[in-house]
Amino acid sequence: MKKRIRNHERKMPLTELEQFLTGRIWLREFMPFAQEEVDSAIAAGKIGVKKGITENKECTRCLERSPQKIISFNCAKCQSVCYYCRHCLKMGRVSSCTELIYWADPSPKPKTPHSFIWNGLLTNAQQRASDEVLESLSCNQSHLVYAVCGAGKTELLFPPLAKALEKGQRICIAAPRTDVVLELSPRIKAVFPDSVIHTLYGGSPAETGFAQIVIATTHQLYRFENAFDAIIVDEADAFPYSFDPSLEGAVIKAKKRESPIVYVSATPSDRLLKEIPNQSKIFGRFHGHPLPVPQFRPLWNYRKIFSKNKIPKSLTRWVNDRLAKKEPFLVFLPTVELIEQAIPLFKKLDARIEKVHASDPERKEKVLKLREGKISGVLTSTILERGITIPNVQAAVVGADEAVFDSAALIQIAGRVGRSSDFPAGEIVFFHNGIVRQMDKAKRQILFYNKEGFR
Amino acid sequence: MNCYLCERELPQLPSWRGLFLNDIQEVICGRCKNGFMKISGTVCPICGLPNEGLCRDCRYWETTEYAGLLQSGTSLYYYNEAMKDFLHQYKFLQDIVLSEVFARQLRDELGKTKAAIVPIPMHPDKLEERTFSQIDCMLEAAGLRYSQYLTKSEQVQGKKTKKERMSAPDLFHWNGKNVPRKILLVDDLYTTGTTLRHAAKELKKAGAEEISFLALIRS
Repeated sequence: MKKRIRNHERKMPLTELEQFLTGRIWLREFMPFAQEEVDSAIAAGKIGVKKGITENKECTRCLERSPQKIISFNCAKCQSVCYYCRHCLKMGRVSSCTELIYWADPSPKPKTPHSFIWNGLLTNAQQRASDEVLESLSCNQSHLVYAVCGAGKTELLFPPLAKALEKGQRICIAAPRTDVVLELSPRIKAVFPDSVIHTLYGGSPAETGFAQIVIATTHQLYRFENAFDAIIVDEADAFPYSFDPSLEGAVIKAKKRESPIVYVSATPSDRLLKEIPNQSKIFGRFHGHPLPVPQFRPLWNYRKIFSKNKIPKSLTRWVNDRLAKKEPFLVFLPTVELIEQAIPLFKKLDARIEKVHASDPERKEKVLKLREGKISGVLTSTILERGITIPNVQAAVVGADEAVFDSAALIQIAGRVGRSSDFPAGEIVFFHNGIVRQMDKAKRQILFYNKEGFR
Repeated sequence: MNCYLCERELPQLPSWRGLFLNDIQEVICGRCKNGFMKISGTVCPICGLPNEGLCRDCRYWETTEYAGLLQSGTSLYYYNEAMKDFLHQYKFLQDIVLSEVFARQLRDELGKTKAAIVPIPMHPDKLEERTFSQIDCMLEAAGLRYSQYLTKSEQVQGKKTKKERMSAPDLFHWNGKNVPRKILLVDDLYTTGTTLRHAAKELKKAGAEEISFLALIRS
């Protein structure tokens, strides 16, 4: 289905400076424009200026105010005591004597043409949720989409997004992790090929024009203020969003005051479930098959066995099974240290087993190779717990009883298995050193989804 | 508190030393600390590069007008990835608290010296741009007193080729203060040794007799 969204006559085009700065709050000294151009726009009142750190010692960009993060120093630039913010330091240092600028004089944005290209196949459950999101957005109310891994959450957002674009709104889709942003971006671009869409994350290439849709990590929202008519927060329960309250502050700062937030999650926090009045729930997968249910298998003293340079027997058996059946697999381990310790041992089972962790620059390539069958399996930290889809992948968690694997993480990991309709089943094994409550909770929750999804 | 580099929580172990000896507090975690590689073994007696006897650069220097200017030197760490990341965050991102990361090591190395500690100065324009002097701040964090007898006359060294750097015109000028007999120069990064030799030359002219140096890093 291709639908051309009606648009009105084009008005005055925006200057590049206005396109860039509208809705943003940016360090004056790091502007990608000529200094004279910025200076004259400030003189003309088009650009507003704010102090980097307020009198109350709060960072104007990320709203940080704890004394552990707002640090005083003798500034050689202004010859007095200044404060700087450590919290958002990596985006260019904000200090008392630096200035943040914003577009103070927004002009009505010209309505640009959008196309909406999509085959529009939603399951009944997806369609219902999609309609409900649309309804919430139209009356500026926040909404929670609570849908299991593999329910098809992104697709159901397309119709509400198209509607918003038609109305000339500016939308942000935010996710805590760069991996998720990179996965979303091409899908959104394919559906709205004529719209200006920016993809922003730490180290992302520069973008031009005025973006109707911004797809960004939640961190990047520190650099926006009063910008969006709606924000979709994907994976709202994921690290670091759920651990760093300032990211929630960033989302609120980035949207216009009346604008709604749509939270999307397979494992929402109790707080979200309680606080967001409008909710849509999808407990069945789009392909209609149940979620794979985790099996519990003991792996007594696995740390001790690994430290003797051995892989526990039942884990060896599991990996050899996967290798024999040529099934790609993920083994989740609780710490990077244990991954380092275990990888040479696994390489002896098969040289094509690789490791992945958060600071691995080749993470994307390795996941791709696993998908293409060029490597047989991956040892990973929780970094791969979400956002990745590999047909026929099988998963094991080693040390499922450890604190890093809370029930949400375990549900997400189980959610990697059986996502494609060609391979809707698969194995998910929790290897443990004693069953803990979080494991039970995860399994109970998955059984509940399967029951609810098939009613 | 959290590690200044990786933000993981630091275990707070109360110790008698911390209570009574006003010990310098650790600000980074064990894992980050292990990322920095200390230089050990046989080193070049002038610049501290791991080497049997004088290294190639110092052998060259000893054939020039700069021969004999530097009595001896110590370089503490290798310029590895962890150190590059550290310098990036400290100098480029201007994260001033990182001046505390090597405070203990600097105090151990310099605390008992009889020489006057002289940090390599920054050019005033560069200082204003960076808002702080990275070496002064490190010495302050280590609780060390220092004095300044030089001003920087020319702009940065960083972007030049090795040859250009080794034959640069005078980089420093004496500021007119009385120079003590023994001097210990301190710099963050020793690359070709040009900076330190220029500083030493100017100080010798102004009356210093014995000049040694400490560099945090030997690249």
